[in-house]
Amino acid sequence: MRASAELALVVWVTALLASGSAAADFDKAALMQLLASVERASAQFVETRHSALLTAPLVSRGTLVYKRPDRLEKHVSFPFEARMVLERGQVTIDNPSRGRKMTLSIENAPGIAGLVESIRATRAGDLGALERFYKVDVGGSRGAWSLRLRPHDRELAQYVNAVTVQGAGARIERIEVVEASGDRSVMEIDEELK
Amino acid sequence: MRGTQKVMLAIWLIACVACSAWLYRNLSITTDLTVFLPRSATPEQQLLVNQLRDGVASRLILISLEGGADTALAGASSTLADRLRSNALFASVNNGDPDALQKERELLFANRYLLSPPISPERFSAAGLRSALRENLELLSSPAGAFIRPLLASDPTGEMRALARLMIPDGGPGKRHGLWFSRDGARALLVAQTRAAGFDVEGQRLAIESIRNAFAAIQPDGARLVLSGPGVFASQIRSTIEGEAWRLSALAAILVIAILFAAYRSAVTVAISMLPVATGLLVGITAVSLGFGDVHGITLGFGAMLIGEAVDYPSYLFTQAAFGERLDATLARIGSTLWLAVLTTVFGALAMVLSSFEGLAQLGVLTIAGATTAGLTTRWVLPALAPADFAPHRARAAPFDLSMLAIGGRSVRGARWFVILLVAAGLAVVLWRYERLWDNDLANLTPVSEATKLQDRVLRDELGAPDVRYIVVVRGEDREAALQASESAAAFLRDSVARGLLAGFDVPSRYLPSAKTQAARRAALPDAATLAGNLDAAVRGLPFREGLFAPFLDAVARVRSGPPLDADALRGSALALKIDSLLIRDGAGWAVLAPLRNVRAPQALGDAARAAGHQLLDLKAEANQLVNSYRDQSLRLIALGLLCITVVLAWGQRSAVRALRVLVPALAAVVLDVAILLLLGERLSLFNLVALLLVVGMGLNYALFFERPQADMAERARTQLSLVVCGATTLAAFGCLSLSKTPVLHAIGVTVALGSVLSLLLAAALAGRRDDSSG
Repeated sequence: MRASAELALVVWVTALLASGSAAADFDKAALMQLLASVERASAQFVETRHSALLTAPLVSRGTLVYKRPDRLEKHVSFPFEARMVLERGQVTIDNPSRGRKMTLSIENAPGIAGLVESIRATRAGDLGALERFYKVDVGGSRGAWSLRLRPHDRELAQYVNAVTVQGAGARIERIEVVEASGDRSVMEIDEELK
Repeated sequence: MRGTQKVMLAIWLIACVACSAWLYRNLSITTDLTVFLPRSATPEQQLLVNQLRDGVASRLILISLEGGADTALAGASSTLADRLRSNALFASVNNGDPDALQKERELLFANRYLLSPPISPERFSAAGLRSALRENLELLSSPAGAFIRPLLASDPTGEMRALARLMIPDGGPGKRHGLWFSRDGARALLVAQTRAAGFDVEGQRLAIESIRNAFAAIQPDGARLVLSGPGVFASQIRSTIEGEAWRLSALAAILVIAILFAAYRSAVTVAISMLPVATGLLVGITAVSLGFGDVHGITLGFGAMLIGEAVDYPSYLFTQAAFGERLDATLARIGSTLWLAVLTTVFGALAMVLSSFEGLAQLGVLTIAGATTAGLTTRWVLPALAPADFAPHRARAAPFDLSMLAIGGRSVRGARWFVILLVAAGLAVVLWRYERLWDNDLANLTPVSEATKLQDRVLRDELGAPDVRYIVVVRGEDREAALQASESAAAFLRDSVARGLLAGFDVPSRYLPSAKTQAARRAALPDAATLAGNLDAAVRGLPFREGLFAPFLDAVARVRSGPPLDADALRGSALALKIDSLLIRDGAGWAVLAPLRNVRAPQALGDAARAAGHQLLDLKAEANQLVNSYRDQSLRLIALGLLCITVVLAWGQRSAVRALRVLVPALAAVVLDVAILLLLGERLSLFNLVALLLVVGMGLNYALFFERPQADMAERARTQLSLVVCGATTLAAFGCLSLSKTPVLHAIGVTVALGSVLSLLLAAALAGRRDDSSG
């Protein structure tokens, strides 16, 4: 009978889907939960920018300090001194040698702020904040995951093609930004969690 | 119908047809506030009117789309903006979409070396360039890297960044999906600038309607449309007032007709008793239209009210007709009193014709022509039109004896003392409360709710839209001088922002620097060879690709040899729109208007501006002052009018004592009216003043008829009946108006309703009882 054949098909497809999702035991929610468990983190980083404008990659070093839920500080100590603080939606970029200080808010400057949020919101396991700017995909396993962020915010998408965050467990190890210009920036992170 | 009556009827018909035909072809009603400007206006007041007329702040409509997901709101914002941009009613529509400002960005980019304030010779020296290049490397390593990269090769000194900081100092409104949003993401925000001026209520209404229609056509799920801004308020106020005025007028008309019908028991009589006031209005408007060209809307409203007392003229005629008496005979009896009633109104208004405010002069002409016509119509047309079998019913007595009521059965002398004491108390109240007599704040008269005003403040704050109240003004003999003045005002305002007196400002010289400043910036640019040499020295040791900065060298060379930036180069862009609205012709010279944002310390800012040779204009204070000077002049003219009335009365009554007997009750009614209003906690405005003029007119009429020698008890009864009918109709009409929630209508209604009752009682108490007056 046709009706029972259809019913069998539905049961079979449903079973297949259920087993499929069971197989992917590591998804967005699981990763976010894992990342959100971290209260504080500090890290050494080395950032390398590959640009068609330059004859050699630009390398900078410094530290990252995170405090749950919404404070992130990036301190560049080499080859120049600079500090960037994201706190409660406000980004302050401070360049003491030039006496220049710039304050932006996530609301008015979705471009720069969106990029900074890719680090802060990932660290905080804040899926809502990530999805405000990006389409979020998770791959890999708990031991070696990768978080792929593709901007859907129009302004951010004009400058950034994708951000890929890689890590293991609750640790973030590498962040790669591919810009619309073709430039690429890779940040290697050695993180200590608390 | 006798021969003269036929002639009069023919003249009336011809006059009505001629006036209707003239008005049909020529009537133009204006709402332009300049009509209400005295010819001796101060430059500030002229500027105020220009601002109301052309000011950019008054043309802005703030649009908020709320409710629903931000993606849906962003989609609605884009579609709405596209639709409105193709609508000729709007000069510009901005929703923050960077693509829509492509042309402006290109203009700014092409002219960056003429526009950017930090341009100086040092900036293009080897040291200056090296510092700029190092900064670029640092920025490339920062989260800002992706964003500065596209312009790095053509703008290594960061002039576009400097311009962005200048034009959107605090980053502008919040953004989502590349469009303006409130900071909480709950509302998509747009700003539309109408082509229609702010004062053009009809133009504003059309613009608002087309926004609503465009929104309805998009129909975003669950989203609501909220509009705000001066034009939105103006058209809201107009529709509120119109709606209430229609509703209350209809109610009043029904009540008045019911009262008249109860008095006459004849539909025809009720109908023809409307003729004098209708004819008076028709001729009055024609007279204003002939004399002034345009008729102001406010003249129409107030004028219709002022000659409203003409509704009473036929009442006097019909109720005074004795049983079986022909109207001609009645007129022969009461004619002189009726004429005196008309003449007092006409002479009272005569002074207004002389006013330097065109609005008041229009009002005077309308009243004089209207009242005269109403009088003539009552005298000559009504008897001709009255039904052949018009026969007054048996003398009907008023439902009660007014004079008995007023004096409470005591002797007239006692009643007079009582009234004198009452008026003295009233005067005392007025003097005691004199400080609080006038309402000097126009804002109290707007029916715009606090919630709506708050919403406007919130939207204005989110959008960083300019304050509509304060503006800094500087002037120059020609455009160049004005632009230089604009630059010095900008320097002053920058300091004031740093001192925290205000949040921000805008000036035309930002978009079009003076020729002097442009020349200085151009002179700071080195020639091609020097610049290339400096750049080579600066780049040495830094990892920039060879030849990377060729676009920069080209751009500087182009500006050095190119033409200066002028208004024509900006034509057709939003920048030109800005300049046109901020740099305006003002008399013989040019005025620069600097809109301000969030003025926190107006007093300190005003003082500092004066000290620096600039001027802070408080549009609200100027508007209040304008209306108050209108009010003060009205007061003086009313006093002059009262003098004229006294003379007319003394002549008409052939006795100063009898003139006073008419004048005193009317004035006493005004005093008590004002005293009671004050005790009720009301303050008086221009609108109360016009209402009081009507009270005086009515009071004089009541007193004239009470004071008229009365032959017998029957005549006295008829007089009381006519005054009760007149008083009741006025009370009914204006009592309805006093129910209004619109402050203006309420003020007029309360003042006149109260005044009509007081006038009637006082006229009865002070002027009545001829038989008793022995001296």
